[in-house]
Amino acid sequence: MIIQEGMSIQRKLEILSDAAKFDVACTSSGVDRKGNGSGIGNSLACGICHTFSADGRCISLLKILFTNECIFDCKYCINRSSNDVVRASFTPTEVCELTMEFYRRNYIEGLFLSSGIMVSPNHTMELIFEALRMLREEYHFNGYIHCKAIPGTDPVLVEAIGWYADRMSVNLELPTASSLKQLAPHKSRKNILKPIRQIQLRRENNNEYLGIYDGRQNERNQVKNLILRDSNSGSNNSIYNKILNSYNSKLNQASEYNSVRLDNELNVASPESTNVIPFSKSPKGRSRYVPAGQSTQMIIGATNESDYHIMSVSETLYDNFDLKRVFYSAFVNVNNDSNLPSTVSGPPLLREHRLYQADWLLRFYGFKIAELLTEKNPNFNVLLDPKCDWALRHLEIFPVEVNKADYYTLLRVPGIGVNSARRITTARKTAVLDFKDLKAMGIVLKRAVYFITCGGKMMYPIKLNEDFITRELLSVKDRLPFGIEKDITYKQLSLFDDVSFKPDDRLVHQQISLA
Amino acid sequence: MNNFKIYQCENSIDGIFTAIYQAWDSGYGHANVKIEEQSETNNYSNIELFSDYILVKTNLEQALMVSKSIKAKISLEAYEMVCRVALSDYKGKGDLIYRFLILGFHIGSKIVGHLSNKVVNSVFKLNRYVNGETHHLLGFIRFSERENGILTSIIHPKNNVLSLVTPHFADRLPNERFVIFDGNRNICSLHLPGKPWVIAEFPDIDTSDFEGIVDDEYENLWKIFFDNIAIKERINPKLQRNNLPIRFRKDMTEFEYV
Ligand code: SF4
Repeated sequence: MIIQEGMSIQRKLEILSDAAKFDVACTSSGVDRKGNGSGIGNSLACGICHTFSADGRCISLLKILFTNECIFDCKYCINRSSNDVVRASFTPTEVCELTMEFYRRNYIEGLFLSSGIMVSPNHTMELIFEALRMLREEYHFNGYIHCKAIPGTDPVLVEAIGWYADRMSVNLELPTASSLKQLAPHKSRKNILKPIRQIQLRRENNNEYLGIYDGRQNERNQVKNLILRDSNSGSNNSIYNKILNSYNSKLNQASEYNSVRLDNELNVASPESTNVIPFSKSPKGRSRYVPAGQSTQMIIGATNESDYHIMSVSETLYDNFDLKRVFYSAFVNVNNDSNLPSTVSGPPLLREHRLYQADWLLRFYGFKIAELLTEKNPNFNVLLDPKCDWALRHLEIFPVEVNKADYYTLLRVPGIGVNSARRITTARKTAVLDFKDLKAMGIVLKRAVYFITCGGKMMYPIKLNEDFITRELLSVKDRLPFGIEKDITYKQLSLFDDVSFKPDDRLVHQQISLA
Repeated sequence: MNNFKIYQCENSIDGIFTAIYQAWDSGYGHANVKIEEQSETNNYSNIELFSDYILVKTNLEQALMVSKSIKAKISLEAYEMVCRVALSDYKGKGDLIYRFLILGFHIGSKIVGHLSNKVVNSVFKLNRYVNGETHHLLGFIRFSERENGILTSIIHPKNNVLSLVTPHFADRLPNERFVIFDGNRNICSLHLPGKPWVIAEFPDIDTSDFEGIVDDEYENLWKIFFDNIAIKERINPKLQRNNLPIRFRKDMTEFEYV
């Protein structure tokens, strides 16, 4: 290991930003916090992109490792202990100064601090805790902080850090325990899930105490309730009956094996897991514990799990662990490890893209994974986005009437995203809409025409025939991110969480990907 | 014969509101009047034959009456929408606002839902456009620290968004002295600790007046960070350009090369 004494701050930044670049989570969402009139900083729930790097990804946070030294040897990681790379570490003061000075110049929304493991998880997390504490209490930094928790850290430290960070995350790394064992021999699923559960319970506890309900969770529940309500009311004009029926039957077939799996892993592995919150009091002036919640990330394509497998894990994380985001990171074989898949011809970006699309469907469209994939058909269609693919398999519920269908039914129409569905439900209060109106409202009809009627009529006389519509949909250019395929017009499926112009409105995200 | 009346006004919210007040008050009838603001790119449009031109002098009292009635008779939301349209670079925005208000005073607060109406739809689109640029700039604005500790930023926005971006920074940087200069309009917003921010016009300074040579270590560090954070295997200039249009880059630290 090469450790350089007295390294300049420039050199450290070079090394430690380079080493952090594969971490995809780059969000500053969910927290709306006004400036406090003193100190420095506020936070907007909608998130702000400050610039876009050469790979087209949004930069909103100073994303660095605290150190790239590491005692672990994860096969996919450039900083693994067996690699001969230049090592560097910041001091807590250096992290504070960089954050403050970048923030003043409006380069960033805040700090995203991750780290390799120097000496031990506890040793490293203590230094990180010190950096965060100083930023908040000595520099009076009121901007956004996202902090990684290292698996195996003492729960007391995790607890303490949570009062200073807006978001915390523990990387799940790989979708299954066995892949993890194979590629990250020093990590265990149990050690990863434990802090996730701890933070979740602490947040619930804290929110309950403060009487705060969680907006996002609430939204998800609304979707669920809506599904239930519709199915109870027995109303015929909602497609939910049909969806629900097919969903239930699928679910029965597929067994719930997948969705409860993570919970089991955690409970079996750590019987003390329900009792992990150590006692602590919140530091002065900090009343919310990890207000922006947790996220995690999985590496895609390093091991051979199917999309179904990956998305089932995500669904469990959203439903049972209250995660705010799951990020998918296309595997890049940085170590040219011959035991891992080669990425010479490029990382699996299209696959990553489809997973993000499906992730949106889970979080904002009321979809369940069992509707999109099955054990028999476990991977997404490369040619069609997951929603088109789903619609083609459910032609019996289409077309739907634009002037009547409820909001969540509209959302199921290919080509209609959250923004379009909102615009439609608003506009039809005052007028009966026809296709001309939809166009004027900026709603893209290329895909939607096959699935909707206006005033009982389709735009063209079309037979609802699967082959025909499939062919037509395939001829509509899939809006993939630039660089995945040539000549596409598409405005990023950014790794950025919430780009919306209405900070108070978390549903109006950039829906570009699914429209 | 009854000539068409064209009210020519200053390119500002108050100017447009004054013209609207006078046109409304004139009794010529909505169909016979038109509002024409002095546009940023060309000063007056083609002179139309058989039209009377009426030069409107901005009158704050009249403008205020218009804002008050919008808020009272339509809604605060509609008022904010109208203001954003007035700050846009859309030619003909004065008349668009006029047409929108005619509908608005007739229909009331529900007007903002009439998306299938052409006028309302245009107002909506312009709002998105102005909001979009505002939101971009909240992220893309770069401050440089000057010797005297003042944070200075230069921007060249298409729309007149200075009054929309400044409150964000006043809230975020309460203890800083900062200046944001709109190089397209020669206006500047100023903020001092503990004081409300203001916007002032400086007809005779230009961007070069701000370019003192300042050797700021952190600008350098930022460039290092920016270059290093990109993943080589995923380099994608098209996506970068799509997300960060070239026009913003000339005012951004990380795209300055010596
Ligand atoms: S713990 Fe594993 S993934 Fe993290 S820095 Fe060390 S080697 Fe890399």
